[in-house]
Amino acid sequence: MSAVSVQAIVGAAPSPIEAPDVDYATISPLLIILGAAVLGVLVEAFVPRAYRFVTQIAVAVVGVVAAFVATVVVGAGLDTVDGEVTGRGGPTAMGSLSVDGPAVVTWAMLLFFGLLGVLLFAERRLDGGLSAFTSQASTPPGSADERHATRLRIEHSEVFPLAMFALGGMMFFASANDLLGMFVALEVLSLPLYLMCGLARRRRLLSQEAAMKYFLLGAFSSAFFLYGIAMVYGYAGSFGLAEISTAVSSQIGGQNLLLAGMALILVGLLFKVAAVPFHAWTPDVYQGAPTPVTAFMAAGTKAAAFVAMLRIFFVAFGGARWDWAPAVWAIAIITMLFGAIASIAQTDVKRMLAYSSIAHAGFLLVGMAGLTSGDGVTSVSAVLFYLVAYGAAAIGAFAVVTLVRDAGGETTHLGRWAGLGKESPVLAVAFTIFLLSFAGIPLTGGFISKWSVFAAAWDGGAWPLVVVGVVASALALFFYIRVVVLLFFAPPQGDGPTVAVPSPLTWSVVAITVAVTIVLGVLPGPLLDLVQQAGAFVR
Amino acid sequence: MTSMSSIVLAASEHADVVPVAADGVFSWMWLLVAIPAVSAAILLIGDGAGDHGPLDRFGHLLGTAAAIASFVVGVVGFVALLGQDVAERAVTQDLWTWMQVGGFDVTMSVYYDQLSALFVLLITGVGSLIHVYSIGYMAHDPRKRRFFGFLNLFIAAMLVLVLAGDYLVLFLGWEGVGLASYLLIGFWQEKRSAAVAAKKAFIVNRVGDLGLALGIMLMFAQFGTTNIHEVGLNVTNASQSVATALGLLLLLGACGKSAQVPLQSWLLDAMEGPTPVSALIHAATMVTAGVYLVVRSAAIYDLSEVARTAVVIVGCVTLLFGAWIGCAKDDIKKALAGSTMSQIGYMMLAAGLGPAGYAFAIFHLITHGFFKANMFLGAGSVMHGMNDDVDMRHYGALRKLMPLTFITFAMGYLAIIGFPGFSGFFSKDRIIESAFATNFWAGLAALLGAGVTAFYMTRVMILTFFGERRWREDVHPHESPKIMTVPLIVLAALSVVGGALTFSDWIEDWLTPVTGSEHHELGVPAWVITLIIVAVVAVGASLAYVLFARRDVPDTAPQQVSVFTRAGRADLYGDAVNEAVFMRPGQYLTRSLVYVDGTGIDGAVTGTAELVGDGARGLRRLQTGFVRTYAAEIFGGALVLVLALLAVNLA
Amino acid sequence: MTVEPFIGLSALLFAIGAIGVLVRRNAIVVFMCVELMLNACNLSFVTFARAHGNLDGQVAAFFVMVVAAAEVVVGLAIIVSIFRTRRSASVDDASLLKL
Repeated sequence: MSAVSVQAIVGAAPSPIEAPDVDYATISPLLIILGAAVLGVLVEAFVPRAYRFVTQIAVAVVGVVAAFVATVVVGAGLDTVDGEVTGRGGPTAMGSLSVDGPAVVTWAMLLFFGLLGVLLFAERRLDGGLSAFTSQASTPPGSADERHATRLRIEHSEVFPLAMFALGGMMFFASANDLLGMFVALEVLSLPLYLMCGLARRRRLLSQEAAMKYFLLGAFSSAFFLYGIAMVYGYAGSFGLAEISTAVSSQIGGQNLLLAGMALILVGLLFKVAAVPFHAWTPDVYQGAPTPVTAFMAAGTKAAAFVAMLRIFFVAFGGARWDWAPAVWAIAIITMLFGAIASIAQTDVKRMLAYSSIAHAGFLLVGMAGLTSGDGVTSVSAVLFYLVAYGAAAIGAFAVVTLVRDAGGETTHLGRWAGLGKESPVLAVAFTIFLLSFAGIPLTGGFISKWSVFAAAWDGGAWPLVVVGVVASALALFFYIRVVVLLFFAPPQGDGPTVAVPSPLTWSVVAITVAVTIVLGVLPGPLLDLVQQAGAFVR
Repeated sequence: MTSMSSIVLAASEHADVVPVAADGVFSWMWLLVAIPAVSAAILLIGDGAGDHGPLDRFGHLLGTAAAIASFVVGVVGFVALLGQDVAERAVTQDLWTWMQVGGFDVTMSVYYDQLSALFVLLITGVGSLIHVYSIGYMAHDPRKRRFFGFLNLFIAAMLVLVLAGDYLVLFLGWEGVGLASYLLIGFWQEKRSAAVAAKKAFIVNRVGDLGLALGIMLMFAQFGTTNIHEVGLNVTNASQSVATALGLLLLLGACGKSAQVPLQSWLLDAMEGPTPVSALIHAATMVTAGVYLVVRSAAIYDLSEVARTAVVIVGCVTLLFGAWIGCAKDDIKKALAGSTMSQIGYMMLAAGLGPAGYAFAIFHLITHGFFKANMFLGAGSVMHGMNDDVDMRHYGALRKLMPLTFITFAMGYLAIIGFPGFSGFFSKDRIIESAFATNFWAGLAALLGAGVTAFYMTRVMILTFFGERRWREDVHPHESPKIMTVPLIVLAALSVVGGALTFSDWIEDWLTPVTGSEHHELGVPAWVITLIIVAVVAVGASLAYVLFARRDVPDTAPQQVSVFTRAGRADLYGDAVNEAVFMRPGQYLTRSLVYVDGTGIDGAVTGTAELVGDGARGLRRLQTGFVRTYAAEIFGGALVLVLALLAVNLA
Repeated sequence: MTVEPFIGLSALLFAIGAIGVLVRRNAIVVFMCVELMLNACNLSFVTFARAHGNLDGQVAAFFVMVVAAAEVVVGLAIIVSIFRTRRSASVDDASLLKL
C-alpha cells in the first residue's frame, strides 16, 4: 500500500499519478487461476447445462495445470538475493506481493492440492452418476423441489469456479507482502469455502450447519485479524511487512499497540490453521462438509495460512521474536497434546482426521519455533516440507473416506470400517499408509517431516517443544495403529463396509497421494533440496 | 569402577575401525532384509480377498523359505567375513541417501561387521527354525498366511535394526519390530486378554522409544550427524554430560524394548501371543535389541561412568526381579518370561561393565537365544499336547509321553541353570566373573540370581515332566509331530554346544574391534568363582527338588503363602506401580482408551449409548456443538493471548 | 489531534460486537455484530491514518467495506438456506455436529 501513500495530505501540490508498474509474468500463476475462476463464472452463465459440468472441469484442470507450468517457469527464473540469509526473488507488483522462494514453492504445492481437489470434485460415479454436491442449494432438504432438481440431474457446477477463487486466495495469502493484502486474500480464500461446505448432497442438514458454523466463526476470527492489523498499522504507520519490520527494530514507544496487534493477528491465523483454543470449528466443519471439499480445505487452507503466518511473524515481527515466541510455544504444546488425546476418543473417521489435523497444526507450530537461518534445517523449509507431506496424506485419506459407503452415502462411523481390509485390501492398505504417515512412522513422508520440524526446533533451542512433540506423536501413534488393526483384523459388522467403485478420477487421487507419501518417506531428497533452495522470505 | 586410562584406551580402539566399502559377497547383504520383506509383502497384501487361494495353502512355505534363504545369505556373509583381514571386517554398503538437509545426511546403508554378523546368524537361524516349527504349531489356524507374513515382517525389521549404520535407520527397525511384536501378541484378537496385552506392550514400549527418539535428537543437535560410527568418533570430543545424557536416554530405550525394570511389565502379558512368537520375539531376538543398542553404542558408554553404572543397576535389579517372578508363576510361559527378563538382566549387567563385559553380554545373548527359544518351543510342544493348558499344576509326569520334548527341554534346562559343560555355564560364568572383578555387589547379585534361576527352572522341570499326573480329564498328552520336534532337537544341540564359542576366547577376540576389550584381574583364581557358582546352583536346584518333588503339588495355587510368593505372583506389583506413576495422572487418557475399545471397535454394535463414556465427557464440555460456545472459546483465547503478550511487556 | 478517544470508541464498538456474537442467538444478529466489529476496525484505520498523516488507513477502510459486502452476500445465502430448512435462524438450534 505504500505505493498509494501520498506524501502529504494537506498543503502540497498534487503530484501526477504514476501508473502502477506490474510485472505480469511474475504473477502469472495467480492471474491464470483467478482468470480460470472468472471464466468459470462465464461458463456457468453461457454454456448449456448438459455440457456445463464437463466444461467446468476442463477449465479448472487446464487453469491449474497452466498455472503450475507458469509457477515452475517463474520459480526457475528467480534471482538469488544475497543478504544476511540467502533468498530468491523478491517483491513485485509495487511491493504488494512477494514472489520469493517459499511463495513459489507454496504456489506449486497449492496448485498440486488444487488439482487433486478438482479431481475429487469431478467424481460422479459414486452416487449414481451424480456429484457429491447438492443439486440445488436453495431447496430445503427432503423437499419436493429437491427431488425434482435431482431428477433433472441439475448440478452445482459452480463448485469449480468457487474452488478456483479459493485457490487463488490461498496463493495470494501465501505471497502477500502487506497486511491489507493478506486480509483480502484471507477473505477471498475463506468465502468460497464457506459456501462449498454447505453444498453436500447427502446429510444436508449437517452440511448447512457446518457452513454456518464455519462462516460465523470464520468471520468472527477475521474481525480479530483485522483489528490486529489496525493496531499494527497504528504502531508502524504502514501495512507493508518491510516497513513494519523496520519500525519493530527501530521504533521506541507504542509497544502495547504492537503487542496487542501481534496477538490479534495471531488469533486470526491460528484459527485458520486450527490451533487450540481456536480449533473448535475444525471437527464440526470437517465432518459436515462434503468430503472432497474437506480434503481440499484441510490441505490447502493449512498450507496457505501457515506460510502466511511464517511470513508475517518472521518478516514483519522477526525483531519482536521474543515477544511472540513464548505464546507460540505454549499454543504448540497445548495443540499437540490436545489433538493427539482428543483423536483417541473419536468414533467418526472424518472427525478423527480433523483432530489429527489439529495435532499436525501443533507439530507445524513446533517448526515455527526453529531457526530462521543457517545451513541446517530452517523453519521455513521444514514447514514447507511438512505441509506437502501432510497435505498429500490428508487429501488421500479423505479420498478414501469418499469411497467407503453404505445406502445412506458415505459411512464414517469407525465401527463400520471394521473389516475393510477384507472388502478392499488395496484401499485399506492405502488408508493405512496415510495413517502411518500421520503417525510419523519411518519410510513415510510423515516421518521425514516430523524429523525436520523437530530438528529445526531443536536447532532453534526449542527442545522442550521437541520433547512434548515426541510424546504427543507417541500418543497419537497408538490410536492410528488401533485403527489399522480395526481395518484388518476386527470382524466386520453386518455385511461390513461396502466400497464403491469410483471412476479413475478418485483412483488416481488415491494412487498419486500414496505415491507421494511413500516417495517422500523413502526418497525425500529432491523435495528437501527444493525447500532448502527456496531459501528465506524476501521482503 | 574402571580406571580412567582404560577408558581412553577403549575409546581410541573404536576410532580405529574404519568401515570399508562393500564389494563381492558383501554387496549382496541387502538381500538379508529384502528377501523376508518381499515375502512379507506378498503374504500380507497379495491375493487379499481370496480365501483358500494358493497363498493360503502355500503361504507358510513361502514365509519359511524366505527366512531360510535369508539365513543362507547370512551364513555366506559370515564365512566371507571370516576370510577378511581383521582390519577390514566392518563393511558398509550405501544403498541410497535417505535424507539430506544442509550438512546433515542419512544414508540407507548396510553396516555389516562382526557384531551384526553374529546377530544376523542368530536372527535368521533361530528365526528359520521357529518358522519351521510354526508350520506344525499353526497348522490348523485359518489365518496362518498372515501369521507367517508377520513373522517375515519381524525378521526383516529386526535385520534392519542390526544392520543399520545410522541411528535413524536403527530407529526404523526399532519401530518395525515393535509393530510386528504388537501385531503378533494380539494375533488372536478374539481373545480379549491378547488384545489388551498387545496394547500394553505397545504403550510401555512407546515410553522406551521416547528415550531412543530423544537420544537421537540429542545426537543430531550435538554432533550434526546420526551415523553410528561418526557419533562414536564425535562423542569423544563432547562433554561428559552429553555422553551421560545420551547413555541414559538410550538406556531408557533399551529398557522398553528389553523389558528391563522399570519398563518390564509388558513382557509377562506378551505371552498371550502364539508360543512361536514368544520364542522368537520375546525370548531370542527382539527383547535383546536393548542389549544390542547398548553394545553398539559402546563408544558412548565408554565415556560415561554414570551411564554405565545405571546400566549395571538396571541389569542387577532386573535379573533378581525376573528370577523372583519366575519362582512364583504357575503359568509355564510366564515362568519362562520371568526367566527371560532375568537373563536379559545378566546381559545388561555385562554390557554395563564396559569393554570388560560387552563381549560376554553378546555371548550370553547368543547362548540364551538358543536355550530359551528351545525351552519356549518345548513349552509350546507341551501345550500342544495338553489342549493349550498353560498351568503347570495341571501337568506332571509328561516325560514318558513326550520323550523328545522332555529331552530337548532338559538340555535347555541344564544350559540355563549353568550345568558345567553346557552353553549357559560358560556364558553366565564369564559374566559373573567379570562382575565380581569390577564390583563386588554386582557380582553378588549375579551369583544370587544364578542360584534362584536354578531353583525356579528346576521347579518348572519337576512340575511339568516329573511327579504325579495331574491332567484334566479330557486331556490326552502326546508327542508333537516331527515338524515341531526337529527344530527342538537342533536348538537343543545348540544349547549344549553353544559354549564352544568362547573356546580359546574366540568370541572375545572376534568382537574386540567393535567393543574394545579389557581384562580385570580377580582377587582369586577364576576356578574358585566357578566352583562357587556351581555350588550355589546346586543348592538352588536341590532346594527346588526338596520342595516340589518330595511333596504333592496342589491342583490350585495355595493362598496361604508368604509375602514373597504373593508379590511374585503379582509381578512384584509392576502394574500397580505403573498405575500409580503413569496411569493416574493420565486417567482421562486411559479412560478414553477404554472408551474407544468399548465403542469404537467392539461396541459399535451396542450402539452409541456408550458414546457418553467417561473419557469423552471432558471433551464434550468443550465440543458442545453450539457456535456460541466455540465463539466464546475463541474470544477467551484471544483475550488470554493479548493479555499474555502485554504482560510480557509490562513485566 | 489526540487519537485516544477515537481508539477508545473503536475498542468499545469492537467489544460490543464481540460480546454480541457471544450472547445473541439469531444468526442474522450475530452476523450484524461481526459487521460491527469490522466497522470498529474501520474507525481505527481512519483514526490512525489521520495520526500518521498518510492515506493507507483510509484506503484500507474502503477495502474492508468491499470485503464486508462480499461477506454479507455469502453469509446471507448460508443463513437463508438454513432458515428455509429449519424455519429458524437460531444458532443454538444448529448443534447436531458435536463431540
